[in-house]
Amino acid sequence: MHPILADAKQLGLYLLGCLPIGIVLIIGLGRQGAWLTAAVFFLPLMLIYAFIGLSSFYLCRAFPINKEERTWRAVPAFVCAAATVGGLCVALAFGWARLLVSLNIGLQPEVYLAQPWLLFVVGALLFWLAIAFHYVLIASSASQDAERRSLEAGLLAREAELKALRAQLDPHFLFNSLNSISSLTGRDPSAARKMCLQLADFLRDTLRLGAAQRISLQEELTIVERYLSIEQVRLGARLNVFKETSPQALSAKVPALILQPLAENAVLHGIAHLLEGGTVTIRAQKEHSMLVVWVSNPCDPDRPRHKRGGFGLSLVRQRLQSQFGLAGQLETGEERGEFTAKLSLPFEPPEGMSANVSA
Amino acid sequence: MSPPKPLTVVIVDDEAPARALIREYLEQHSDVQVVAECTNGLEAVKAANELRPDLLFLDIQMPKLDGFEVLDLIGRDAAGVVFTTAYDDYALRAFEVHAVDYLLKPFGPERFAESLQLARSRISRQQPIPARELLETHRDGSAIDRVLIRDRSHVHVIPVEQIDYVEAQDDYVSIRAAGRSYLKEQTLGELEVQLAAKGFLRIHRRYVLNVSRLAKIELSEKDSRVAVLHDKTELPISRSGYLKLRALL
Repeated sequence: MHPILADAKQLGLYLLGCLPIGIVLIIGLGRQGAWLTAAVFFLPLMLIYAFIGLSSFYLCRAFPINKEERTWRAVPAFVCAAATVGGLCVALAFGWARLLVSLNIGLQPEVYLAQPWLLFVVGALLFWLAIAFHYVLIASSASQDAERRSLEAGLLAREAELKALRAQLDPHFLFNSLNSISSLTGRDPSAARKMCLQLADFLRDTLRLGAAQRISLQEELTIVERYLSIEQVRLGARLNVFKETSPQALSAKVPALILQPLAENAVLHGIAHLLEGGTVTIRAQKEHSMLVVWVSNPCDPDRPRHKRGGFGLSLVRQRLQSQFGLAGQLETGEERGEFTAKLSLPFEPPEGMSANVSA
Repeated sequence: MSPPKPLTVVIVDDEAPARALIREYLEQHSDVQVVAECTNGLEAVKAANELRPDLLFLDIQMPKLDGFEVLDLIGRDAAGVVFTTAYDDYALRAFEVHAVDYLLKPFGPERFAESLQLARSRISRQQPIPARELLETHRDGSAIDRVLIRDRSHVHVIPVEQIDYVEAQDDYVSIRAAGRSYLKEQTLGELEVQLAAKGFLRIHRRYVLNVSRLAKIELSEKDSRVAVLHDKTELPISRSGYLKLRALL
């Protein structure tokens, strides 16, 4: 839809803007003593022409000015369009003049038809003006769009961060862990205390690091290990963990808590659905300029698709997109009962030698 | 004045600490006997069928079959059921709607005793929990991916795509899939709703058809129509069933 036609207020302003052009035509082409004839002849023509001019919007959109190799190709198209519109002007003028004469109201507009080439040139030139006008219109609305998009992206990023933080404190995980602690309290108080402390450490990490932007992969893996060891109390021998990482990868900086949701997904939607359990495998290495981390787990192909499945993964995707754009990717796939999440993001080396690693 | 027969209980939870906790709490109640501990839904169905316990403590999130699916399958094999869960909005809403008691993890011995008492009174009044209504609220009209069928202690999991058609038979439905028929205690109307979004259509008072199995429609005598499936099975089509089929095809 044409932006001006879509809005009555804009259309009104546009037509008002065309009025001076009509007046210029009356003064420029009108004959002494016949101003009324000139006005009756030119103003309606101008009104119709105003709508014809709007069509140049589609031409401008087809040849956006930001791509240079296409802009020059637009020139022949504009020339053709302007010529067509000029011809159309002449035809309209003749038609309108004939109609006025046949109305028999004492007007003689034929004098303006004596120089049809002049009408043609005026029509064509005005079309060039319309094209210029529409380019300005498109550019200004594009810059408004860009501003709105960047605002939206900022909001989205912040919302994703907030949601990510909240998701770390998955209530299901918390309550199940508390239930495990409650159970251990009677039978094995020292195990209960140990689990309490693990849970406290994990919660502290998620709260402390929520605000921080980057931590080393080593630190992130410490959090993941804490999480998995808590889940191991719950799931017992069903949950095993295997890790394979290069020292270089461990030193890389990553957004805090970017990996933990992947481990959580592996447990909740993978291992927890298997009677015999399985191993969560975490591998990390540097590949060219990227850090690549794989988290994989066996899964039950017949597992029920949970209503909230994949929520954690979509948050990771959003965070990656807001921080790295296209350079940060999360790919997931399932093959022969093995689910793999592959996280790749630009490799960020540690700042200087101060890679402080908490263990 | 202890009752002559102890209350038999089955504990179902895939997490060992959660099972141990319930067992520990039950030690305070001398008239209760734990007859089985199950680590998943399949075991629970088997135990319910073979042991006919008075009461099941049933976790909701479990591998293979969740608590609701277990409830669906055990039917009247357990007199009472107490659900246990850590956090599940959907499930809790269903419980609230039907005034079904549940235990929110972590729970203490007092809350547990209260729940046990409630279950006991339900059982003594022979008032089972409204399983069908509960399941219906929980599913909330959403489509299903698989149909579960119990054959004594064995559970068949039939993916919806494998079903050819379903036939109503008194209180049962007969589900035809992969060359076999399975009986399930359910009404055809209920299953029709659950399968509607999966390309199934009620073509007759007694039949729900997987439309992708339809080979052709033949006119039989006196104006009535017959659906011929790819495997040459013929099913009657009612007048309204034909209108629905025609609108769909």
